[in-house]
Amino acid sequence: MLKVFGFVKRNPRLTHDEYRAGHVGYHNSFGRRLNNIRGYLLNVASNRRITDSLGADIVDQLTVNEPTAFDEQWDGWGQLMFDRMEDYVGARSPARDRAGPNGLETDTMVAKVGDDFNQLYAGSPFQFQVDEHIAMSVRRPEQKLFKLAQFVKRSASLETELFRAYLTGRYATLAATIPGLRGMIVNVRTNLDVMSEFFAEDAEGFTPEGIARREAFYSGWDALIEYWFDEPEQFSSARLSPGFEQLREFEAAFFAAAFYREVDETVAVLPKRDIPPPFYHR
Amino acid sequence: MKVNPKKVFKVFAFLKRNTTLLSHDEYRAGHVGYHCGQSRRLKNIRGYLVNIWSNTPFADRIGTDLYEQITRNEPRDFLDWWDGFPEVYFDNQKAWLNAVNAEPNRATADGLVADPDWSMADGPVLFDPVPDRPGEFKPCHLLMHEHILIPVERQEHKSFKLMQFFKHKPNISNDQVLADYATAASKLPGMNGCILNFRDPDQTAAMRGFYGDDTWGFSDEGIDHRARFCAMWDGAVEYHFSHSNDFVAARRTLHNELSNLESELFDSVWYVEVDENLIVMPNRNPAPNYYFR
Repeated sequence: MLKVFGFVKRNPRLTHDEYRAGHVGYHNSFGRRLNNIRGYLLNVASNRRITDSLGADIVDQLTVNEPTAFDEQWDGWGQLMFDRMEDYVGARSPARDRAGPNGLETDTMVAKVGDDFNQLYAGSPFQFQVDEHIAMSVRRPEQKLFKLAQFVKRSASLETELFRAYLTGRYATLAATIPGLRGMIVNVRTNLDVMSEFFAEDAEGFTPEGIARREAFYSGWDALIEYWFDEPEQFSSARLSPGFEQLREFEAAFFAAAFYREVDETVAVLPKRDIPPPFYHR
Repeated sequence: MKVNPKKVFKVFAFLKRNTTLLSHDEYRAGHVGYHCGQSRRLKNIRGYLVNIWSNTPFADRIGTDLYEQITRNEPRDFLDWWDGFPEVYFDNQKAWLNAVNAEPNRATADGLVADPDWSMADGPVLFDPVPDRPGEFKPCHLLMHEHILIPVERQEHKSFKLMQFFKHKPNISNDQVLADYATAASKLPGMNGCILNFRDPDQTAAMRGFYGDDTWGFSDEGIDHRARFCAMWDGAVEYHFSHSNDFVAARRTLHNELSNLESELFDSVWYVEVDENLIVMPNRNPAPNYYFR
């Protein structure tokens, strides 16, 4: 699938929790209606520090070269899934999904995704495609899960292709055996341009300042691994156990940086990876 | 077998489309699209699914032989009563009644505000309108009492969801259905979830306070409409499988046991395949102290 991440920084007139409400509430209500969307998750940075969820000791042991002021650069990120690039580019078009006095009508506000970008965000999203590897298919129960994001940067001595191969190989294979894991997906950021045809030409993201802001953010990491657990202790205790020591050996050899964040996941559109039905479905 | 650990206020809202304006598939788009873009923002909603009957008849899906073996006294016009039914979850009745109170969830130049465009005024053009009451449609909102037999887990693909409606025999209680049938049904292999729901005997339990006393739902016609619909069934089981073949295989493993129980307990029992749209993932944990869906 075409999977696109968009990291966003909140508009400074909003608190983090106000941003949540605006993104999860109004904005997602339009985003979930994008034409032919096949999956839409929103991950908002948790109010709980990662040291409080995983434990300070384990975070200290597993964190390497965390970028300075990383959390000041984003408040959340959306994950959009489409079958094809054409669907993604065409998604921001009016949607025929609103009943009116003349039958089903077209709603132009979907093309603008609610038209609240400038009020919700500070600048353009950092939008990029990821090459995903499903180490363990996600099964979501009817409860809020502990979702962990592991940001990793490849060692400079390792070719990009080898980094992906190694990461999705024995590293992901071993990590996917952590007891209690409900899902694990490795996402490697690519250079595919998914901004030019999605945002207006005069968007902040295309200005020199916007490009510099985005490149600075990207410089700290190359891949993002999503983990889903019932409780953070499941990850912490596994990573402290002898059975997973080889993960640290791998990290020491192939990662230039590794750091973690807890996020609160909203499932705006449950991802569907099978063939779409011939009718409107979310 | 597991019984619901925490009681939720769960409503099935059976809704027929506006047949003058919309086909079944157009209704899907209008309900799941725009309408749910509004209703997913109901205050303190804890879960929200929209189930729409499948375009494929159940007999075609599983084969006529099995269909005839497991179906008894299916009401002939059951699907004429509705096109879809949302199931919504709230912590309690008070939260349900306060759900339509707007709360700030739109970012503007003035900060976060209550969305002035938030509206569910599309109801009469989306749902079955009341001819002599402009602005009203015909709701049939029913309070359900659920028992989680197998906790639901959703994978990242469209699942096969089956509703089994039943009307029990006059001398049979819900407790007997729960003790005997639910215990047996929960042993069906390969399920991704199974929830038994009993309809509250008070047919106005989910309507009272949510709709005004002077609305159609409390008119003689509305009360009669609801009574005739409710007379057809007492409860419904939600089955979640990955594929229809999984249901067929599972049913065959317990067919005799379940058939005997169905003969013993039910006057009628029948199935409707529904396409489940997940609008708000049900969260059965305590609500976090911030806006969450």
